[in-house]
Amino acid sequence: MKQIFKKILSMLLTLLIVSIVVFAAFEIIPGDPAISKLGSNATPESVARLRAEMGLDRPFLVRYLSWAADMLKGDMGTSYSYNMKVSSIIVDKLPITLVMTVVSMVLTLLISVPVAITLAKYAKSGIDRTGHIVNQALMAVPSFFLGILMTWLFGMVFKWFKPGGFISYKRNVAGFLGYLFWPSLAIAIPKCAMSIKLLRSAILSEADKEYVRTAYSRGNSTMEVLYRHVLKNALVPLITFWGMTVADMIAGSIVIEQVFNIPGLGRMLLTSISNRDYPVVEAVIVLIAMVVVVMNLIVDLICRKVDPRIK
Amino acid sequence: MSLLEVKDFGVEFHDHLTPEKVVEHVSFTLDEGEILGIVGESGSGKSMTALAIAGLLPRKKMIKEGEILFEGKDLLTMHRSELRGLQGDEICMIFQEPMTALNPTMKIGRQVEEALRIHHKDMSPEDRKKRAIECLENVELKDAEAVYDSYPHELSGGMRQRVMIAAAMVGHPKLLIADEPTTALDVTVQAQIIKLLKKLNKKEKLSILFISHDLSLIEQISDKVQVMQRGRIVEQGSVEQIFKDPKEEYTKQLIGAIPEVKL
Repeated sequence: MKQIFKKILSMLLTLLIVSIVVFAAFEIIPGDPAISKLGSNATPESVARLRAEMGLDRPFLVRYLSWAADMLKGDMGTSYSYNMKVSSIIVDKLPITLVMTVVSMVLTLLISVPVAITLAKYAKSGIDRTGHIVNQALMAVPSFFLGILMTWLFGMVFKWFKPGGFISYKRNVAGFLGYLFWPSLAIAIPKCAMSIKLLRSAILSEADKEYVRTAYSRGNSTMEVLYRHVLKNALVPLITFWGMTVADMIAGSIVIEQVFNIPGLGRMLLTSISNRDYPVVEAVIVLIAMVVVVMNLIVDLICRKVDPRIK
Repeated sequence: MSLLEVKDFGVEFHDHLTPEKVVEHVSFTLDEGEILGIVGESGSGKSMTALAIAGLLPRKKMIKEGEILFEGKDLLTMHRSELRGLQGDEICMIFQEPMTALNPTMKIGRQVEEALRIHHKDMSPEDRKKRAIECLENVELKDAEAVYDSYPHELSGGMRQRVMIAAAMVGHPKLLIADEPTTALDVTVQAQIIKLLKKLNKKEKLSILFISHDLSLIEQISDKVQVMQRGRIVEQGSVEQIFKDPKEEYTKQLIGAIPEVKL
């Protein structure tokens, strides 16, 4: 219990640091939101007036504190370029990226666990060797490239989906999921390859442990030894990996949303950075940091549940 | 008929370019309620023999010769599923390292009950738990209920070895193979485990194959002894015979090497 309290404390500290760093980053990088809003032909007077209106003329610390106080109250501010509440923009975009991440994660688990078990079962055989080579190749290919490849193959050659034809979940949930399946698969494949490699070797190294011999001595068959004893132990390192994977998938959505033309969080982040739309960027980055930190906590709790030795 | 009859047993490894004989011409018998001590240095083939009887030698990469008859049936040639039916039920084994022989992520209770779950599927969960607790009490663990609900890392080495024995005894086996069961434990715990094994031997008419490199332990526990060296049996006989009147030079050397404690 005390450890969990400590974890939560360090979580909050991480968020604080992230928020300061994000806020400070926009102090350092060139570009002025007032100019980008008014255009480069604007007169210095009108720029100054707008800066004052936006509160940009106040000192850094004052701006940070008032922003942080607003964030704590749940007010993420107003977007410069959309003239909308940041929170309502995020509420609009977040489900898209979130669903994509969940689908990717489900695909990763559904594919990697059975494949890893099979490869471990036939370790050092032809299947295992072929699997290793295929795996190595898939691990090396970045998601965006797979995305382009899939768009061409499944979208243009087989016509299984319409490239760029994103359907909003508000209009048609089935169509929305059907379209998101492809980018999710592109995200999942390299993660699958990594999970397979890790899980396969975790299973094999667990299979060498002495408790496995004990399990056999009680009359378990190979399959029973695997499912009753080995798998749970082998999953411990994988849980940590999968936790990091979720965070990585959300951050990675920036690229894949470009490739598949999906109006999600990642794409919004990219446009907002180039528009110097500080409130949006800051809110999104703090949100992503929050997801990462919360994922870490969840992973920690699951690991404790699975492996009682972790204290 | 003896409970266990090993006839001209041999093991040859084939995992290298040249085959290697690690056990040769090993023959012995073990009767019900008897304790046979096998003594020898590491590499003498004693553990290999034990693993073969427990059915734990891999089928690939090695050739096994001779017969291992358990109640008249050859363990080396019987079908895998028939062998599994005996493992954990009639033939049980405990190992050298109680720290690693238990599954770290499974509660003690489940591990003690496991042989029942495999071999006595008709037993109700409550009966299984009752039997497990009874076994934990039989191996003289205090607060068996608490042990039942703990994980291996929460117990000491001696307690874990007791748990291993409890798990082995759960299905009333006829044969217990103990491969250096006290080597990893400190001396006082060693003595307790030996006493416990002797008690189970008397109470349950359990036959024990006790393997050790420690002659003084072998002398304490065994009814009969066999000395192994380089995969062969050098000498066998009753405890009195071996320790009072050893015939072979190697046996004499081993006995001569027992440190005498003079106070």
